[in-house]
Amino acid sequence: MTTAARRTVTLTVNGAARSAPAEDRTLLSDFLRHTLRLTGTHVGCEEGVCGACTVLLDGEPVRSCLLLAVQAQGRTVETVEGLADDGRLNALQRTLKETHGLQCGFCTPGVLMSLTAAEREGLDEEETAGQVLAGHRCRCTGYAGIRAAVAARHRAPGGPRQAPRGGGAEAAG
Amino acid sequence: MTAAPAGPGPDDTTARPDAPQQPTGGPIGRSVPRLHDDRLLRGQGRFTDDIDDGTALHAVVLRSPVAHGRLTRFDAGAARADGRAVLVLGPDEIARHTRPLPTVWRIRGQRQDTIELAPRTVRYAGQPVGLVVAAGRAEAEDVAELVETGYEPLPAVVGTDAALADGAPLVHPEYGGNTAGSARFGDSEDEVERALAGAAHVVTRELGVQRVAYTSLETRALLAEWTPGTEQLTVWAGTQVPHPFRYGLARALRLRVDQVRVAVPDLGGAFGGKTVLHADETLVCLAARLLGRRVAWTEDRAEALTASYQGRGMSATARLGLDADGRFVALDAHITGDVGAFVSQAGTGPFQVAAQAIEGPYRFGRAGASVRAVWTNAVPTGAYRGYGMQEACWIRERLVAEAARELGLPAAELRRRNLIGPEELPYTTRTFSTYDTGDYPRALHSAEQAVADAPRVREGRIRRGAAAVPSIEATGYGPTSLLEAAGMEAGGWESGRIRVNEDGTVTVFAGVVAMGQGIETALAQIVADRLGVPLGLVAVRLGDTDTTPRSEFSSQASRSVVVAGGALMRAGARMRERMHALAASLLETSAEDVRLDVEGEDEPVFRAAKTSRTATWAQVAHRGWLGWGRPDPDRIVLEETVDFDPPGLTYAYAAHAAAVAVDLDTGQITVEGYWAFSDSGPLVNPMIAEGQIAGAVAQGLGIALTEEAALDPSTGLPLTTSLRDYELPAPATVPTALHLSHTSTPGTVAPGGFKGLGEGGMLPAPVVVANAVADAVPEIARRLERTPLSPYRVWTMLRDAGLATG
Ligand code: FES
Ligand code: FES
Repeated sequence: MTTAARRTVTLTVNGAARSAPAEDRTLLSDFLRHTLRLTGTHVGCEEGVCGACTVLLDGEPVRSCLLLAVQAQGRTVETVEGLADDGRLNALQRTLKETHGLQCGFCTPGVLMSLTAAEREGLDEEETAGQVLAGHRCRCTGYAGIRAAVAARHRAPGGPRQAPRGGGAEAAG
Repeated sequence: MTAAPAGPGPDDTTARPDAPQQPTGGPIGRSVPRLHDDRLLRGQGRFTDDIDDGTALHAVVLRSPVAHGRLTRFDAGAARADGRAVLVLGPDEIARHTRPLPTVWRIRGQRQDTIELAPRTVRYAGQPVGLVVAAGRAEAEDVAELVETGYEPLPAVVGTDAALADGAPLVHPEYGGNTAGSARFGDSEDEVERALAGAAHVVTRELGVQRVAYTSLETRALLAEWTPGTEQLTVWAGTQVPHPFRYGLARALRLRVDQVRVAVPDLGGAFGGKTVLHADETLVCLAARLLGRRVAWTEDRAEALTASYQGRGMSATARLGLDADGRFVALDAHITGDVGAFVSQAGTGPFQVAAQAIEGPYRFGRAGASVRAVWTNAVPTGAYRGYGMQEACWIRERLVAEAARELGLPAAELRRRNLIGPEELPYTTRTFSTYDTGDYPRALHSAEQAVADAPRVREGRIRRGAAAVPSIEATGYGPTSLLEAAGMEAGGWESGRIRVNEDGTVTVFAGVVAMGQGIETALAQIVADRLGVPLGLVAVRLGDTDTTPRSEFSSQASRSVVVAGGALMRAGARMRERMHALAASLLETSAEDVRLDVEGEDEPVFRAAKTSRTATWAQVAHRGWLGWGRPDPDRIVLEETVDFDPPGLTYAYAAHAAAVAVDLDTGQITVEGYWAFSDSGPLVNPMIAEGQIAGAVAQGLGIALTEEAALDPSTGLPLTTSLRDYELPAPATVPTALHLSHTSTPGTVAPGGFKGLGEGGMLPAPVVVANAVADAVPEIARRLERTPLSPYRVWTMLRDAGLATG
């Protein structure tokens, strides 16, 4: 391959308009991490298996390692950096901390984004712990603390069912 | 103040009222949330690949596409002519600028004692032969494609059987055979043979544990910067062992160690995979040095699965002899370890540990194990979590279960007759391990009770069964004298340093490393507890060769809390004494009259009972640094450093139970319930401890069921190059019914009675699953000799037993 084609990608990330050049072949994960310097999104496999790179694209959880940056042109991306509310951990983040749902924290951003989407969609505990977590690999926790977080969120007053939908950051519960 | 006594200090006695096993209300023993979770949850972790702000060059490693061959052509002409190439290094340049890496843990007879960085003879697919550097990773990959290489193929040696066969091709012809070295542990072969000959019953099995890939979710990564003016190499590296990493780099690059700084950013898991300096990491640093620039490298997943060292990979012929009463009269294992292309820094260590740990919690009349380390054309092996001990547990508990089955005895009864009882401790095994404290029968009893009512179904297409097994974990490596005697070039001590700053904050420096296990929180708890200050005052600094104490082992082998925590227990007691003495001088009273009061997270206050005067902790610290009112004229700096070399190993233990279902139509095994009863002494943070155990159990289930780093038997090329082929335990692999409980028997080795627990959860998991499968499907019990028990492998056994058709 010789000189790669480049174009400017304009998109909304965590509520802010961003614009930067990208080669056609640049993955969305690399664009977020290295071009926009949003390194909270992690890359564990670059082949769609581990889920660490999960972000929300127009509200839908997607694997940013399976998308090109140019595919996000004009769209809205939410990453882990957008979850905290004015620097304060949101309710889901706090729960994951309380249930020891993270160890090294490498898988955590992807898990948080998938769980955020599941809460907005109103998925129940079984669907979340079953289908949603099935899309993630965590090498550290044995999933125990992550499942405990899902359970705790579904028990909590003002839990996921009441969580607001839409593109903004989730309100602290 | 006088120097601390060399022997066990007063903090070692369990009777002392403020020893942590007596709840003090202090931070030790509390499940406080981890100190660094917030930034990880915000996406503000700083992992190695996050550091580059766009100024670094990027490296791509050129690797051998063949398992065995001679590199006959390395033509970088076209690559160098490409405008995007910044640097292309081939084997000749690399050899010119470097020396080989040193090895650390060798086995008797091992003559290969260095590791070549980029040899012309390649011995595994994925071995580095060169490096390309360009402005970005994609450009470096483009340039790498322009490097033209040619190989003269040599026959690949795959697996130890092939390596040891008559006329096998030699991996290292200069040594005249494929055996890298061998050793015997415990009783001699003759003695064990005699005991076996006198046994009423002998069970023999060919038992094996597959090679596995560490697969931390963050792969290895490095950012290296050479500063030409000061001639300093700064390396941010995802390593568990910054000091040995620095030593190896300095040796290889012909630098002084003080020209190299290794700093460890956040680690996305490690599990032993980051305990050695690999050749490729060294090449990235060489590139930085030659260019006088910053060079970044992050391994991709395919490299992690094929070119990073791997764990396990052993097979053993093992025999258990019993007398007519079912007592274990003899245990023997002949372990063959597949060390791969060369013996890595610690390559034979896991196999030696398997031999050393062969007895577990049982009494044997005679016991011994032989290890033979064998070169093959596979990627070299290293130290994966629970190494050696997990393999030993697999060997031992498969033999015990099979003996019970053959003798028609309940396995629980057979184990009870042979378990070492609490009244027998301390107990020295035939391989000279001295177990300190515990109650192994009690732990096993709990595990057996847990599955007493688990379904046992031997009819229909879904079978169900259960099992329980005990295990022992040697923790707190290690007494330095033991390592020296074992011929390991490593010290087992740790140094802990506590600094009370002039504003009263406390900074702790230790040689261990945070890799997600939560050690910084645990050490902060220990120090806050010993000083009697709120946790919020304490910050922990780890993993930087410029500032943190030297450590050889750092965080591995379940030792961080035991050894580094032990050092800090003592340093904390000393610092507490000094602060009290300083406060007494300010308050014009005796140290005994001074009390440190703490209300929540408020600033602690010293109170003199007699004079009713008070001074804040920060005031006392500030005066201390001024040197005012010091009781000892020669001591000013408010730092206490203690070197702790544990007098022995301390043995944690556990018993695990599993309930499984086996689908006779598919060979699929489902773990439906899992119980772990662990004892690692007093727990500093029970929440963190449980997280460690749950994670280790999951990795054990990976060995049991899903993971295998396989090679093509004829070409030696890796078959598992992505996470699609290399199956990590998924949520569905780990039962929701995962029950963890603890007892807390203090050990006698470390201050606080702490024992390690990072690996223990992994040790019995594979064999308890296999034994439960044997319980469910006794028709295939005889053949459950190797992991993973993948559906295909199990289905094949079921078909051969006439239970499945296909
Ligand atoms: S990095 Fe995208 S799924 Fe693993
Ligand atoms: S917390 Fe380490 S991979 Fe999930």
